[in-house]
Amino acid sequence: MAKLTAMEVRKRIALVFLGVMFCIAVLLVRLAYLQIIQNNWYQEKALSQRMRPVPVDAKRGVVYDRNLQKLAISVSAEAVYAVPAEVRDPRATAEALAPILEETAASLEEKLVKKQSTVWLARKLDTQTARAVRALNLPGIGLVERPQRYYPHGKLAAQVLGIAGIDNQGLEGLEFFYDEYLRGTPGRVVAETDATGRQIPAGVRRFIPPEDGANLILTLDHVIQYAAERELARAVEETGSEKGVFMAMDPKTGGILALAICPSYDPNDYQAYPAQHRRNIAVADIYEPGSTFKIVTASAALDEGVVSPSTRFYDPGYIKIGGVTINCWRAGGHGSQSFLEAVENSCNPVFAELGAQGLGGERFYKYIRNYGFGEPTGIDFPGEAKGLVPVPGKVQWGEVARWANVGFGQGIGITPLQLLSATATIANNGVRVTPHFMKEIRDGNGRIIEEFVGTETRVIKEETARVFSQILRSVVVNGSGSRAEIPGYRVAGKTGTAQVPEGGRYTDRRISSFAGFAPVDDPRIAAVVVLYHPKGQTYGGVIAAPVFSAVVEDALQTMGVPRRREQEPKSSASLFQIQDVVIPNVLNYPRDEAESILHKSGLKYQFHGDGSIVFEQVPAPGTKVPLGTIIQLMSHDEVVYTPGDESITVPSVVGLSMREVASKLAYAGLRLQIYGSGIATRQDPAPGAKVAAESVIRVYFESPVS
Amino acid sequence: MRRWAQKIDFALILLVGILLLFGLMILCSASTAGTGAAPSDAYYYVKKQLAWVFAGLVVMIGMCSFDYHVLGQYHRLIYLGTLVSLAAVLVLGRNVSGSQRWFLIGPARIQPAEFAKIGIVISLAKHLEKKEQLEGFADLLSAFVHVGLPMLLILKQPDFGTAMVFGGVLLGMLFMAGASPRHLAIIGASAVGALSIATWLSVAGILPILAPHQVSRIVVFLDPYADRTGAGWNVIQSMIAIGSGGLFGKGLFNGTQAQLNFLPAHHTDFIFSVVGEELGFLGAFTLLALYLLLLWRGLRIMVLAKDDFGANLAAGVVSMLVFHLVINIGMTLGVMPVTGIPLPFVSYGGSSLITNMAGIGLLLNVHMRRHKITFR
Repeated sequence: MAKLTAMEVRKRIALVFLGVMFCIAVLLVRLAYLQIIQNNWYQEKALSQRMRPVPVDAKRGVVYDRNLQKLAISVSAEAVYAVPAEVRDPRATAEALAPILEETAASLEEKLVKKQSTVWLARKLDTQTARAVRALNLPGIGLVERPQRYYPHGKLAAQVLGIAGIDNQGLEGLEFFYDEYLRGTPGRVVAETDATGRQIPAGVRRFIPPEDGANLILTLDHVIQYAAERELARAVEETGSEKGVFMAMDPKTGGILALAICPSYDPNDYQAYPAQHRRNIAVADIYEPGSTFKIVTASAALDEGVVSPSTRFYDPGYIKIGGVTINCWRAGGHGSQSFLEAVENSCNPVFAELGAQGLGGERFYKYIRNYGFGEPTGIDFPGEAKGLVPVPGKVQWGEVARWANVGFGQGIGITPLQLLSATATIANNGVRVTPHFMKEIRDGNGRIIEEFVGTETRVIKEETARVFSQILRSVVVNGSGSRAEIPGYRVAGKTGTAQVPEGGRYTDRRISSFAGFAPVDDPRIAAVVVLYHPKGQTYGGVIAAPVFSAVVEDALQTMGVPRRREQEPKSSASLFQIQDVVIPNVLNYPRDEAESILHKSGLKYQFHGDGSIVFEQVPAPGTKVPLGTIIQLMSHDEVVYTPGDESITVPSVVGLSMREVASKLAYAGLRLQIYGSGIATRQDPAPGAKVAAESVIRVYFESPVS
Repeated sequence: MRRWAQKIDFALILLVGILLLFGLMILCSASTAGTGAAPSDAYYYVKKQLAWVFAGLVVMIGMCSFDYHVLGQYHRLIYLGTLVSLAAVLVLGRNVSGSQRWFLIGPARIQPAEFAKIGIVISLAKHLEKKEQLEGFADLLSAFVHVGLPMLLILKQPDFGTAMVFGGVLLGMLFMAGASPRHLAIIGASAVGALSIATWLSVAGILPILAPHQVSRIVVFLDPYADRTGAGWNVIQSMIAIGSGGLFGKGLFNGTQAQLNFLPAHHTDFIFSVVGEELGFLGAFTLLALYLLLLWRGLRIMVLAKDDFGANLAAGVVSMLVFHLVINIGMTLGVMPVTGIPLPFVSYGGSSLITNMAGIGLLLNVHMRRHKITFR
């Protein structure tokens, strides 16, 4: 074959050689590009892929109370981890560890073969377990100290503090709310590893220290908190309540002094308790407050000038308003009473009238919102409920009736915290401050890095607050709140016994509460007590007020508030210079003459019927009544009732509760006079006796012995 | 004796010797860590390779101890033997991670495709010598069939890299035998074109012509980070190894990529990455220079060859070496797709070494018998 000349062959060979040179040149250029130009970049890549960071946990910040008592701390606990790549026999290893770690071998084996550099097998080991694991000396299994959350006071303020998880992350409560501060920044050990992640013994190591979390200082006082939890637990136990709340705050700053919730749980072992025990029901759950809400109605009415303490009301035992009849809790009503007495008596018809007519929806709503109902208070706690408040003009039916209901605390949903905030507003001269748990946050060196900044809102006039404080004081002195009194500390407050609605109807379950503050002249503490669904005695004044008294007494002593020894004015009447007058007899007087006589005596009157001669006067002549009481006058042609008609048979009320007795006697047209409290044990006249209408039946009550 | 000695290309032998020593040295470093199968003996692979080197030297001497024209006489037998061995491995061979490439004979793993390279070089050299002309496409057809058959058998294993070397050897030998460069360019371009279309069809999922692992290799060739922990891992680690080596390298035994096992197959296909990492640009440059000198010696022998058969043989061996080099080193530098092709004289592996040494033996043979008259 002679396809190419020798010359051509040489040319081709030269060409091939050039081609080969070109190829090698291309490779060299590429080589130079990677090794010389890109060298630094690749060196970094090589370094970063063999330097694996091993995280080092930051120590979680400490939570202190206001006295720097430690409420939550971080302690080191040993944890077992596995390096799957180094575990030689996963099955045998799992079987050896299973009995010690109290886990099934199968689930352990699953972890041991995971494609991860490290797997946690168990944490928070006790020393015995840790020693047993260490004794096994298994390849690929190691122990390491990890900071873990510990709550030295156990159940104390558990629902407030919340819990932190196994990776030191805040899960609930303040641990969650302030997690960002408490958590800190994890550090790491950067260690040289091979491609499977094994550390090289002689490799490079670098330690980047963790930045520990900041410390949280709360406004809580652990002494008050202890007292609160002790007294609340006792009350819940004694009253057979389902649960209870005690929450106290410094009315001037808004700092929460104590928040006890019963039943509680131990955050160190929270899995052992039902999850609902962890719920902060004081902040997250709403309820229908009942009479304690009259604080809002009354202070709003005073502030608007709708009433003064001496404004007279006549309560016949019910009020017809907005097409519905609202009964007074006291059958037969409270009769003639001043506004002050109406608050003392917690008279529903008066507050219904104030809510629906005296204030009216628009004005009432404005105050309700100013007090902070219907919106979160802005407390530094996760999951705060805003409550349910009807909006004027947006109530579906019976708007007037709705505002009448709201007037005495029905048809509205609030949190215990909102009630506390409103109560504290009165104690703080009418200025509402944001409630809060956090006093300050300090870094590891004690430098303050954050302080709580709240807002201040004026809700009622200073004068209104002062006057209303005295009214609430008189509720404790003369009214239903007497058991909240603390000798030497003048307590002001309001009781409540709310019916629990369920499915649109009120059940026989109750929520008993007390909201108040002390001392009344210079309030240092405001507090609410709420007992849910007590059995037997349900009156807030009977079961909730003593809790307030006991805890607040401890609190004021702890705070070093001196007791006052001097006498204070006794009666509510003298408090507001209200005189009593004897009703003059105007029976059979001509109308104008009767009116003139009453006017001169400082009484008001209402004339019924179209006759000209006074045939009947109520109350009867000779009765002592406060100045300004309205006297009902009837002319002869209008007969209200026939005296002397002894046709009513007295029913038996023994064994009934006070409310049941009241309603039974009212139904029969009889009046009730109460002696004692609890369950009716004796009555006079006896059952079966014939009496006149409106006769007084004396009923003796006794508390059931528990 | 002096005459005989004059006929030996000592420079070629010296170059091969240096390359072999270079290979053993780098293997000392590359095989001590994390080669998986390595038992307690750190130099297990080095010792084995050393044995192969001696075997290779024997083969080399054997290949130049007779007149290469004898091979021409047996070219049909050689071709047939090559095809039979390639067919046999498909039936009797041992399947290792999805490809059927090896015979297990005692402790040795024999890869017939390696020896087939020499077989095809010899038989194609004779085939082309017999050709009257190589003017048109038709003239090239028989050569294509000649190489196409063993190529198909190798693709069946599958061993795409080795098949590519066959294609390269064919083009190289045709060019040196005088085929029109234009024709070869057209053929080469259409082969690349066909491959691209096949790839595109496979990637797009229209027609699965290529196996999934082949598709992924091409995908990661275009962008290694498309699958950085999977198919792209090798290339990325190789480039990190070479790139981090810098000008002077990290020193033998100090290459973190290889020693800490980030770089896979660092004693076989990716041994050049170890050279780049531990000996740096200077080491890699030296190695490439040694190869260039070796190829120059090979081309010189082609020029000196007494006849077309000898020239064709030399062209075949040189083509084979060139393609191995470019594909292997290009792969480690991320400019060629990943194929399982070893680096001649340096990568660990017996079959490959024996084949290359046989090729060197052929070159020496052609060189020794360049002057017919004087040698008789």
